[in-house]
Amino acid sequence: MLPSFDYIRPKSVQAAITHLATGSAQAHAGGTDLMGCLRERIFPVGKVVSLSGLPELRGVSETADGGLRIGALTALSALSEHPIVIKRFGGLAQAAGEVGSPQLRNQGTLGGNICQKPRCWYYRTDFTCLRKGGGTCFAVDGENQFHCIFGGGGTCFIVHPSDTAPALVALNATARLAGPRGSRDVPLEKFFVLPEVDVQRETVLARGEIVTEIRIPPPVSGTRSSYRKVRARRSWDFALAGVAMALRFDRKRVIDGRVVLSGAAPIPWRSKEVEQIVRGKELTVDVIAAAAKAVTSGAEPLEKNGYKLALFQGMIEEELTLMAASA
Amino acid sequence: MADESKDIYYVEGTPIPETPLPGKEPPPWRETSVVGKALPRVDAYERVSGSAAYPSDVHLPNMLHGAILRCPHPHARIRRIDASAAAKLPGVRMIISGNTPEADLIWKKDPVGDMRLFEPICRFEGDVVAAVAAETPYQAWDAAHAISVDYEVLPFVADERQALKPGVPVVHPKGNVSKTDRYERGDIAQGFAAADVVLEESYRTECELHTPLEPHGCVANWDGRSLTIWESSQGVYAVQSRVAEVLKLPLARVRVIGHYMGGGFGSKLEPGKYTIIAALMAKLSGRPVRLFLTREETYLCVGNRPPTNMTVKAGVKRDGTLTALEFSVLGTGGAYTAGGTSLADWLARDLYTCPNVRTISTDVFINAGPARAFRAPGHPQGAWALEQMMDTLAEAIGMDPVQLRLKNIPSVSQAREGNPPYTSTAFKECLELGAAAFGWEKARGEARAQRASRHIRRGVGMAGGLWFAGGGRPPSTVVVKLFPDGSANLNMGASDLGTGTKTVMAMVIAEELGIKPEAVQIECADTGTTQYATPSGGSKTVPTEAPAVRNAAVQVKQKLLEMAAEALKVDAAELVYRGRDIASRQDSSKRIAVKDLEALKRQGIVVGIGYRGPNPKNMTTHPFAAQFCEVEVNMLTGELKILRFLAAQDSGRVMNRLTYGNQVIGGITMGIGLAATEQRILDTGRTGKMVNRNWHDYKLPTALDVPVDVTVLPVEPVDTAANNTGAKGLGEPATIPTAAAIANAVYHATGLRITCTPIHPQQLVQRLADRPKEG
Amino acid sequence: MSANPTNGPGGITRRNFLTTVGAGAIGAAVSENALAAGKEVAPPQVTPAGRSVEVALRVNGRTHVVQAETRWTLLHVLREVIGLTGAKPGCERGECGACTVLIDGIPRYACLTLAVEVQGHDVTTLEGLMDGEKLGTVQAAFVEADAFQCGYCTPGQVMAVEGLLRANPNPSVEEIRRGVSGNLCRCGAYQHIFKAAHRAAELKAGK
Ligand SMILES: Cc1cc2nc3c(=O)[nH]c(=O)nc-3n(C[C@H](O)[C@H](O)[C@H](O)COP(=O)(O)OP(=O)(O)OC[C@H]3O[C@@H](n4cnc5c(N)ncnc54)[C@H](O)[C@@H]3O)c2cc1C
Ligand code: FES
Ligand code: FES
Repeated sequence: MLPSFDYIRPKSVQAAITHLATGSAQAHAGGTDLMGCLRERIFPVGKVVSLSGLPELRGVSETADGGLRIGALTALSALSEHPIVIKRFGGLAQAAGEVGSPQLRNQGTLGGNICQKPRCWYYRTDFTCLRKGGGTCFAVDGENQFHCIFGGGGTCFIVHPSDTAPALVALNATARLAGPRGSRDVPLEKFFVLPEVDVQRETVLARGEIVTEIRIPPPVSGTRSSYRKVRARRSWDFALAGVAMALRFDRKRVIDGRVVLSGAAPIPWRSKEVEQIVRGKELTVDVIAAAAKAVTSGAEPLEKNGYKLALFQGMIEEELTLMAASA
Repeated sequence: MADESKDIYYVEGTPIPETPLPGKEPPPWRETSVVGKALPRVDAYERVSGSAAYPSDVHLPNMLHGAILRCPHPHARIRRIDASAAAKLPGVRMIISGNTPEADLIWKKDPVGDMRLFEPICRFEGDVVAAVAAETPYQAWDAAHAISVDYEVLPFVADERQALKPGVPVVHPKGNVSKTDRYERGDIAQGFAAADVVLEESYRTECELHTPLEPHGCVANWDGRSLTIWESSQGVYAVQSRVAEVLKLPLARVRVIGHYMGGGFGSKLEPGKYTIIAALMAKLSGRPVRLFLTREETYLCVGNRPPTNMTVKAGVKRDGTLTALEFSVLGTGGAYTAGGTSLADWLARDLYTCPNVRTISTDVFINAGPARAFRAPGHPQGAWALEQMMDTLAEAIGMDPVQLRLKNIPSVSQAREGNPPYTSTAFKECLELGAAAFGWEKARGEARAQRASRHIRRGVGMAGGLWFAGGGRPPSTVVVKLFPDGSANLNMGASDLGTGTKTVMAMVIAEELGIKPEAVQIECADTGTTQYATPSGGSKTVPTEAPAVRNAAVQVKQKLLEMAAEALKVDAAELVYRGRDIASRQDSSKRIAVKDLEALKRQGIVVGIGYRGPNPKNMTTHPFAAQFCEVEVNMLTGELKILRFLAAQDSGRVMNRLTYGNQVIGGITMGIGLAATEQRILDTGRTGKMVNRNWHDYKLPTALDVPVDVTVLPVEPVDTAANNTGAKGLGEPATIPTAAAIANAVYHATGLRITCTPIHPQQLVQRLADRPKEG
Repeated sequence: MSANPTNGPGGITRRNFLTTVGAGAIGAAVSENALAAGKEVAPPQVTPAGRSVEVALRVNGRTHVVQAETRWTLLHVLREVIGLTGAKPGCERGECGACTVLIDGIPRYACLTLAVEVQGHDVTTLEGLMDGEKLGTVQAAFVEADAFQCGYCTPGQVMAVEGLLRANPNPSVEEIRRGVSGNLCRCGAYQHIFKAAHRAAELKAGK
């Protein structure tokens, strides 16, 4: 059962920001994640500030330069079914289509998806863990099968739960934030915060700040993007391992591009190792094998998530092989 | 509007079973007119329109809402409870705990000692500590969260594999062994000596949670001294007796109603502490109380399928003759005595002909929620071990797995005293017809042939099983009332869990009385108004209730014949009941319509009482099954996809082909959960708490995890001995072989023997990575 | 002897059920206010915690003005205040789908939706698919295909299929599976649900 909270549905972004800047206020977009956090009383929420009275934050449109502007309140299903997104930003459409379940995609928004709270089961249940202001991470020597292999930094071992975030990072998207001190643009790649920087925050959002829209630059011709997600069951599940790719090809040769992992680290994790191996090369069997091996270099598995090494390697091999076949 | 009152009888001239002479049991049916057809449910309308009132839908005037505060530790002593802040919150009307004198009650007698309603020592996470009733469920939860409890946290053991090690904390003063069972026949050493091949392997199944869609709970209301409870339950009489016992009330003052319920799978065979708590809070507050558990609570305290750790050692001759089976199992019923290893060894004892068998079962205590019967207790676990071993043996001697099984089919129950024969067994036909319909040999060959090239590999596997019970048994009493227009009412205590019980019973009455099933109104699952029945479950409901219903309908016919005999002034034995009318066999001009029977009009109704007769002596009744499946494994990611299933089931007579098929696909879905997705995860190292107490972290199969292609193949032996309907149970056998069949198919695809459930990508990708590289 | 798909077997009617004691909520807190239909009653100011606010909900074509706390979910208000118990609580955390309703024709989880958030939107529940005593098309298809066992997940499954067919009148089997992949059925009747969805598409197309 939800605890009680003050509630407001402001009519302007400015008013929303003002309300969010005070007390323990939380923004409510689709609410699919927030409601669960409230139910489990993970953090105190004095006030819920609904963004649903701000239609200007909704919708997908093409920008003059051929890029994309996506309002933060755009539902994930609207995104995954949008013809332009499907055609030109396929990896994002796929990622949005892999979130949760149909109902969650109908209700959940893109802004909420990248701002959602982690799914670590210690964090989500009645354990007072580091991220909740407690003194210890329960996962480090506990049930850590779903935890990270990169970026834990010896503190907190969550994986970032979002499916769309890696796709957005791969597509070099930027988030436009609006806050008490005006608005700013933050590349998605710089939007997420590692536990070693701040164990109680997942994003760079300052108090009172919200994401108003996401902008994706126009894809350079020859770019192909994709998102692949492996999970313990086929619906309604976060990634055990996922990979978003946006690779630019010149015929069969990869010119450059990004490879971003989900289910790997507390933030969407760019695999610069894989990017470097494929850059400038044709995706031959040998290149693919080298890339697959490289994806886990530097990984630090915990006691129960060692399988992720084999899984990421296998997934990269499969995905690059598919990319090569369609090149 | 159509005149439905004219539409009671089914087709004119359809043969109606002979009416036996008074006092005689009806002989088994031969051909049937209604029974066996694929008919929609008699309560389908209610279930799809939203008009069916499930217990959680019951809303009484002036009703309060309850919430329970549960112990957050697997083992803790309660030092002090302070509810003073909670009591001051808005809407709070009642708080009870171990401090409340009226709540000082014995909840259950356990071999380790009496369990109190509020135990001063909580031995599992989720035992009750206090409860609140308030004006809204929100307020009740606010208050439950505001109760402060001082716990002395005690050391715990949360892994049954550690429970017997020296120095491990004890759950109860007498130690962590709950029970040890042994079984032996023949000479196991000689059996192994006689074998050409002896293999040994260990297996494990993880703990599963029932998680029916409707949470556990009830609404309790007192009218003065009488208590009425609407409970989401598999057996209203079981709830009644426990509530009466705990609250020290006469049975007659406890009425339990459970017209509909949203799934149980064994976890609702008994009431919970919540039932008593709701009744108490209703009593003390003088208002009705609704108390349903949250989903998270249902993970902790309303039962589970215990984890099992099994070892099978088996000896076989080159010709496929089994010579010896040795089976051991370590399991746990949790913190109290709850059958942690029950029946896990039954298949090893009884499924295949084997002269030399030894089994040892060790049930231990751990600090975790007590187990409850879960669809075919012990069997899917036992099948996971035994049926994988059969596969391994077959390969070792170079025999087809189906052939190895066919070689060892018993006609008697070897594990029972006196080796009673089965009233029927079509296990052989299940294997043969199932393999043929599935295209077993072809599919096995094709899967192999396409194997080498791709990273997606196919495999084909199968497994068999039988269910320990499933023949039904007394007692059951039912009443059939016939109205003067020919329509009827059935009064039966049993619950319809969604298995289609009501529909089958309506069809039995329809068969005997020649009326349409929809002309039968059913009153069920209410201790105040219906007859006694044991809880629905264990695949015994149809074979228990259907014969009683049939007997009741037959008695109605006997009484009608007597009325007609009087009216026509002939001997009743000369008359035949034809549905709409009753006529003389000798002289067809002597006939009278049922609705014209003066005696019936005078009386208003004819009542037939039916009892479940005894089972045959020196025989035993069991359903059997063989299931076949085809899977695909992604060798790079460890993803498993189940492509198709075929289930050949011997459950005796098919009572309703539509609901029969439904039961089987449901059993397969559940077996897929055991095989591939479900697993309770306790934080065994540090806190002992359950970390995946919700449907996201505890994963049930979804619509995308089951194959679209499932074939249900009923194999119907004529069983004239089991009972007067020839039906054997279906719910449990449908889920027994499923997981093992999948494991065998995965082996066929990958060459990897996965001995621990679940076969999820986490496990499979690791095993694939660990295997020596193929040359 | 097959059931009449549009009438429920034997024409059993909804009325029979009223014999069940006190099922459904009493509408004490409910008032109807046609004028409020579609009008935003949204709080322009902060509604303090624990305080009730007037919320106008358009459910199955009728407007209900109810007093609700800000934290009350749509599911709670539908069941406990308005008295529509079709939508079921299974988990109240977006993990089972038993509470699925249509909001502006699109399936969503009523348990993850605050009642205050639904003002100005159209809510359709299982009850709203009925045509008087007659079952709606999807419901009738569920009966025909025996697409349930205990029936507790069924209202949500029906609404998911209804939503799917409104968006995609002729779905493939794969689209059907995906369409109901946000609805658990512990009884495991999935294949019958697929058949029912397929049948419902046929029935809606007049086949
Ligand atoms: C059972 C279940 C399964 C799920 N599975 C997946 C999955 O597979 N993949 C996945 O990616 N997600 C999954 N989710 C998470 C979630 O539903 C989605 O991420 C969804 O997109 C969240 O969007 P929302 O609008 O509902 O967010 P909300 O719940 O409204 O908000 C989430 C958080 O973000 C903040 N927030 C929302 N919008 C903004 C904004 N514009 N600016 C600043 N802060 C904001 C809120 O304050 C809140 O803290 C799942 C959720 C559930 C309950
Ligand atoms: S009750 Fe809403 S999804 Fe389970
Ligand atoms: S019918 Fe019981 S859960 Fe679906």
